[in-house]
Amino acid sequence: MSGFQPPVFIPETAIAERVDALARRISADHAGVDDLLMIGVLRGAFMFLGDLARRLTIPCSVDFISLSQHERGATQSEGVRLVMDLRVEIKGRHVLLVEDIVDSGDTLAFLVHTLEVRRPASLRTCVLARKRGPEGRLARLDYVGFDIPDRWVVGYGLDYDNKFRTLPYIGVVHGPDDA
Amino acid sequence: MDPTTPEGQAAPPPVLISERQIAERVEHLGREISADYAGVDELLLVGVLRGAFIFLADLARRLTLPTSIDFMALSHYEHGSTPSGAVRLVMDLRVPITGRHVLLVEDIVDSGETLAYLKRTLEARRPASLKICTLTRKPDRLTADVRVDYVGFDIPDAWVVGYGLDFDNKFRSLPYIGVLEPAPDGG
Repeated sequence: MSGFQPPVFIPETAIAERVDALARRISADHAGVDDLLMIGVLRGAFMFLGDLARRLTIPCSVDFISLSQHERGATQSEGVRLVMDLRVEIKGRHVLLVEDIVDSGDTLAFLVHTLEVRRPASLRTCVLARKRGPEGRLARLDYVGFDIPDRWVVGYGLDYDNKFRTLPYIGVVHGPDDA
Repeated sequence: MDPTTPEGQAAPPPVLISERQIAERVEHLGREISADYAGVDELLLVGVLRGAFIFLADLARRLTLPTSIDFMALSHYEHGSTPSGAVRLVMDLRVPITGRHVLLVEDIVDSGETLAYLKRTLEARRPASLKICTLTRKPDRLTADVRVDYVGFDIPDAWVVGYGLDFDNKFRSLPYIGVLEPAPDGG
């Protein structure tokens, strides 16, 4: 039994408040949209999406997409492939892509390009946590839960080696050496 | 919360099980499951997409033992459902389950035939243990011989939506469980 409990970085109440605020903004920005399709990127986004979707005040539907790295992918953006595509067509629909964490933004860019080819009416991005990528640049996103420093964060869907995903808060683990 | 009432939208489905009742039940299930698995190194929660994701998100947070998460996506064969409950795996697990403790998390058990098929499929991989947890169950519809270990709510034979459950992919994100009246055809 791993007795290690990652120290709290963002408590459950702060997450709930932030998710509420995001949901209000997203609902306002999509006022009049008759069905917003929320696409959760597995596996990390399921908890964030579960809370966010319930707080929206506009009609929405939900789908999931799953990615994995190619075995010998040269760079992150070249290395991504779809393990499970959407069940529904998105042509002409309003779409919100929901991710758990973004740093370089390469994976998200791959997804956005993949989905834009399908000609949605609109496509926006929402991420729980954003870190600075290489050269300190910030990925451009429509909705950001938290901007966080370059630490390994876990919980609320985020994992370390598929562990700690189900913590109700966002915690910090250090490297494998000092965890 | 009236997630479906901008101008021109249908009224939200009437409440069958409120948000508060769900939260209390999920917390109770979380305690029960944590106690039953006391001493287990790690419990693998397998969510069946798409319907189980909200239930899984809430349940997982209430467990007090180390867990990991994976998902499966299923779909019916072209010719519709079969009496055997056989379904196509659209997305299989990412991780092997041999020797691991697994809890399959479902949104609804209706006839139970698909669940029984899924259970046989996973048991063939020889997990250390395999149990089933469902948010809702319709006892009047059950035909399969399948043991469900944890049940959130036994419900009447009505078309329920919300908290992950959908009708035509609608109403999934309601924070409560509601009933569609009149029931849509083909249920």
